[in-house]
Amino acid sequence: MNIENRKRELAQEFSPLLEKTTKASKIWMGFLIAVILVGVYAFFVQLFKGHIVTGMRDNVVWGIYIINFIFFVCLSYSGAFISGILHFIHTPWKNSVSRIVEIITVLSLIIGPIFILLCIGRLDRLHYLFLYPRIQSPITWDIIAIMTDLIGCFIYLFLTFIPDFAILRDNSEKAAKWRQKVYKYLAIGYQDTPTQREKLHKITGTMSAMVIALAIVAYSVLAWIFSLTVQPGWNSSIFGPYFIIAGLYSGIGIIIIAMYLIRKYYHLESYIRKVHFSGAGIILLVISLLYGYFTFSEYFTRWFSHKIHDADLLDTLFTRYFWMFIFANYIGVLVPIVILFFKKFRTVKSITFAAVIAVIGLWFNRYLIIVPTLETPYIPIQDTRAEFIHYTATWVEWSLSLTGVAAFILLFILIMKLVPIIPMSGIIDHERGQAKRKKSIK
Amino acid sequence: MENKKTDKGGSNRRNFLKLGFMSSVSAVAGASLLSNFSLQDEEVVESGEKLRLLTPDGKIVEVDATNINKYPEALVTPEESRIGIPNRKFVMVIDLAKCKNARKCVEGCQKGHNLDYNEEFIKVKLMQDNPETSPYWLPKPCFHCDEPPCVTVCPTGATFKRDDGIVLVDNDRCIGCKFCITSCPYSARIFNWGHKEKFDDKSQPYSPETSLPAAEGTVMKCDFCPDLLRQGKLPYCASSCPMGVIYFGDKNEDIVTNGTETVSFSKLISDRGGYRHLEHLGTKPNVYYLPAVNRQFPLERGFDVEPDIIDRYKDVPYVQDMKSRGEI
Amino acid sequence: MDKQREKNLLNKLELSNLITLEIMKSKKYTYTIITSLIIAFFINFNGFSQELDASNYRMRLSLNSFKQSDNSRMLEVSFIGQNKEDRKDKLPVFDAVIKYYNEDNLLGTAKTSKEGIAQFTVPEGQNYITDENGYINFIAKFEGSDGLDEDEDDIQIKDLFLELNLKEVDSVKTVFVKGFTKDSTGVKTPLEGVTVVVSVGGMLSKMKLEEVIIEDGEFEFEFPTDIPGDVNGDIMVYSTIQDSDDYGTVVQSKSVNWGVFKNETVKEHNQLWSQAAPIWMYIVLTILLLGVWANYLYTVIYLFKINKEGKEIDREQVELNTEL
Repeated sequence: MNIENRKRELAQEFSPLLEKTTKASKIWMGFLIAVILVGVYAFFVQLFKGHIVTGMRDNVVWGIYIINFIFFVCLSYSGAFISGILHFIHTPWKNSVSRIVEIITVLSLIIGPIFILLCIGRLDRLHYLFLYPRIQSPITWDIIAIMTDLIGCFIYLFLTFIPDFAILRDNSEKAAKWRQKVYKYLAIGYQDTPTQREKLHKITGTMSAMVIALAIVAYSVLAWIFSLTVQPGWNSSIFGPYFIIAGLYSGIGIIIIAMYLIRKYYHLESYIRKVHFSGAGIILLVISLLYGYFTFSEYFTRWFSHKIHDADLLDTLFTRYFWMFIFANYIGVLVPIVILFFKKFRTVKSITFAAVIAVIGLWFNRYLIIVPTLETPYIPIQDTRAEFIHYTATWVEWSLSLTGVAAFILLFILIMKLVPIIPMSGIIDHERGQAKRKKSIK
Repeated sequence: MENKKTDKGGSNRRNFLKLGFMSSVSAVAGASLLSNFSLQDEEVVESGEKLRLLTPDGKIVEVDATNINKYPEALVTPEESRIGIPNRKFVMVIDLAKCKNARKCVEGCQKGHNLDYNEEFIKVKLMQDNPETSPYWLPKPCFHCDEPPCVTVCPTGATFKRDDGIVLVDNDRCIGCKFCITSCPYSARIFNWGHKEKFDDKSQPYSPETSLPAAEGTVMKCDFCPDLLRQGKLPYCASSCPMGVIYFGDKNEDIVTNGTETVSFSKLISDRGGYRHLEHLGTKPNVYYLPAVNRQFPLERGFDVEPDIIDRYKDVPYVQDMKSRGEI
Repeated sequence: MDKQREKNLLNKLELSNLITLEIMKSKKYTYTIITSLIIAFFINFNGFSQELDASNYRMRLSLNSFKQSDNSRMLEVSFIGQNKEDRKDKLPVFDAVIKYYNEDNLLGTAKTSKEGIAQFTVPEGQNYITDENGYINFIAKFEGSDGLDEDEDDIQIKDLFLELNLKEVDSVKTVFVKGFTKDSTGVKTPLEGVTVVVSVGGMLSKMKLEEVIIEDGEFEFEFPTDIPGDVNGDIMVYSTIQDSDDYGTVVQSKSVNWGVFKNETVKEHNQLWSQAAPIWMYIVLTILLLGVWANYLYTVIYLFKINKEGKEIDREQVELNTEL
């Protein structure tokens, strides 16, 4: 098997995906840009009129922005965790999904902190966080963790891109000039020699181990922002592990959804096969069982020991937020479990459906963690203004949330135009390994 | 004949003069009346900014009220405000037996800190600890805890605890992340959500001790009025209370006063069973409460306020009882 | 208030009309017309400037005497106008010259402040003219002006000497208070039947220790042992006679180092809520960050090595190509 020819084949197979944009794709990107523009307008409305345009008021001071922040960051951390683990697993099918996972990691870690910035009252003073940091504050830890993690995941992503850039650099004479230049520059002289390969392999290995550790530490820090306060509903000792499991839950859900969409719209059925969905589905099943277990123990403990403030909180959850609670913690957990438990229910479409339910259920679970606690403080609210007693998000917040999602999808599509979504070098490595094994058997 | 003519002419002249006189008098009187009304409009001035004084010549004049803080000499800059008044440890005692929800503390504080109607540094809550006891009015300022959870979580050090026990917010450094608001278990802090005209008032320089002028996108709260303390005066709430509910003083010299009575702090707390709110959270607040026993006023006296304020307490079981009996 | 003013004006209008009618009836109506015109103008002129002068206010001038710890006497005058209709509307007189007299002796002058208060301090050794009962007659006078009438107030005060002594007798801290008046020959008459309050000074107010009606000109009591005082343990003790009819207000004060100061302020360092964090946090954070960023550096170094190798290979290729 001639590796150079194989590389050329793969490059020819994947180049159209990179270079051509179908009409449908253009319309879709136009739609996303429109959504983003509405969000930019909403941002300026908020910038000039102040945070009064949001639904947040003196008691519920953290609303949809923080919920989105936690949601996206948990996607990122679970992606980092999964991609780190995937690196150490040597199975044939890991290749197709590894890049999807890594891209999700980096992109959601870019989008997530933007939501935190939206929640900050004085953006003109952001540099004070670096001039006068207080390291006793969980927010300082969070900033350090996110920045470190962003750089780490970015480096890791780049490391996995390098061999593919090398293949594209060598095999794209027909492509546009600027593209060829980009490939040459980003491939940093990688020629796929054994020594280079070994070096790259070494640093990718250490980085992936680091990324796993970072993911756990950094997401625990985020959980501690809530659990280190004394508020009822937040001061729980299992918040760190709970958030990690919940993060994995939504992370796998998003990976499944991404696999489904990419497979469908880019016609990559030969690469992203049912076995991927089954595998991911089983992992989702395990995680959802764990997630259900953690959620149950949280609420069961509060209900059973019925301390007065816990009881008030549960009362709020079961009266005002009843349907949201049912969806997030019953439907959101049980439906995926039922679908994934039985082999005959596990089709590509149904697994994706379970993933969608999982992701939406998790978003509502985040909402139920943040907002009801702020609505039932130790000292009753007793205010005359209705918007200070209950939180209702305004159009500014919803439109900025949708903008975040749209920006995520748009960036994903743009990256897919830079680098093939299925790592070509992974395919090469896999085939090289197979050839070696065949030789040794002979 | 002549007499008749002169008489008639005289009477005509008289009538004419009478007419002229009457009309001129009424004209002048009417003019002065009108001018009085217009003067009245000019005379309406905002209270609190100008003083009406009588000069020795007997004329009423208006002068600017002297700035209570005597700026700029008395300015305490944000850096200086982190140090605190030396050798003091401020403490407040609130006597719940005397509170009847007059809300003069709320209004005095709002006036002193230029707050809007609904912005309250000190809030009066109606608390009912359990269904059997009578509810009581709880004036709740910031407790200036000795182990403040709000100071711990501030990422930039914009809120700080000084040596004299007061916890202040530096509006020049606050980035508005609102973490302190979420971590205070007593809901003592409020946030400036939008721009207000009063933020542009540059007539006095900013000091965290006065909390004036406030800034958009920052946090503010009760500050125990250090600017008044430096002049030997009680905070606005303590001096505004008509019942003498709020005692304020220095734990180091063991004296608290409510403006009329001055007592020993340790004796007051030990005799009257002073306690702190939510002690088990470990925040170590510096505001002590004297229990609502031997109440001076029945609870119903506290409902003599605006309807929108009574509406706040609609979730308290006692108020719901009163509503069902038609008393409110 | 507005309705009152309206009523006044209408009353005056009626009045002026009535006057004119009356005058019309008399024979010498030309002169009366002129005078009534003048009167009408006067009334209206007053009505025009009604808000600018003090005719609606009754002036009150009151004099009080404060004898201070250094035995000087402060004479305080409050000169305030009170609205005849609204007793809460008070208008202080500012910058008015008040003259202080003892009988006919001019003691001095003072000007009223923005609160309408004028204070004048007579030093200790002042010789007063007393009456036959030993009372000093103080008069405070405001000589009238165009707009305000002359006003004065007088009080009769006996000169009281209040002595405060703080001594430790038989290891018991005791407060001794003595009060007496001296007549012209220097004979001391002890004080009787006057309430004396002994208090200690705090930051914002004075705390009462004892309130006694003094008999035989003296009393003593035991000083409490649990008063902290200020940071050096100094306590300022005051003995006060407040607003007595015969003596005015008399204050005597002394500082004594009987305080048991315990500094409740705990300077905390390296706590969660102090400016400097607990030391272990710095250590853990440094270790974690060093570990992670060292790894990043390692990765970047290796990337550069890969790049270098790639460049070498390129160069070799080019050399090969040129050779061929």
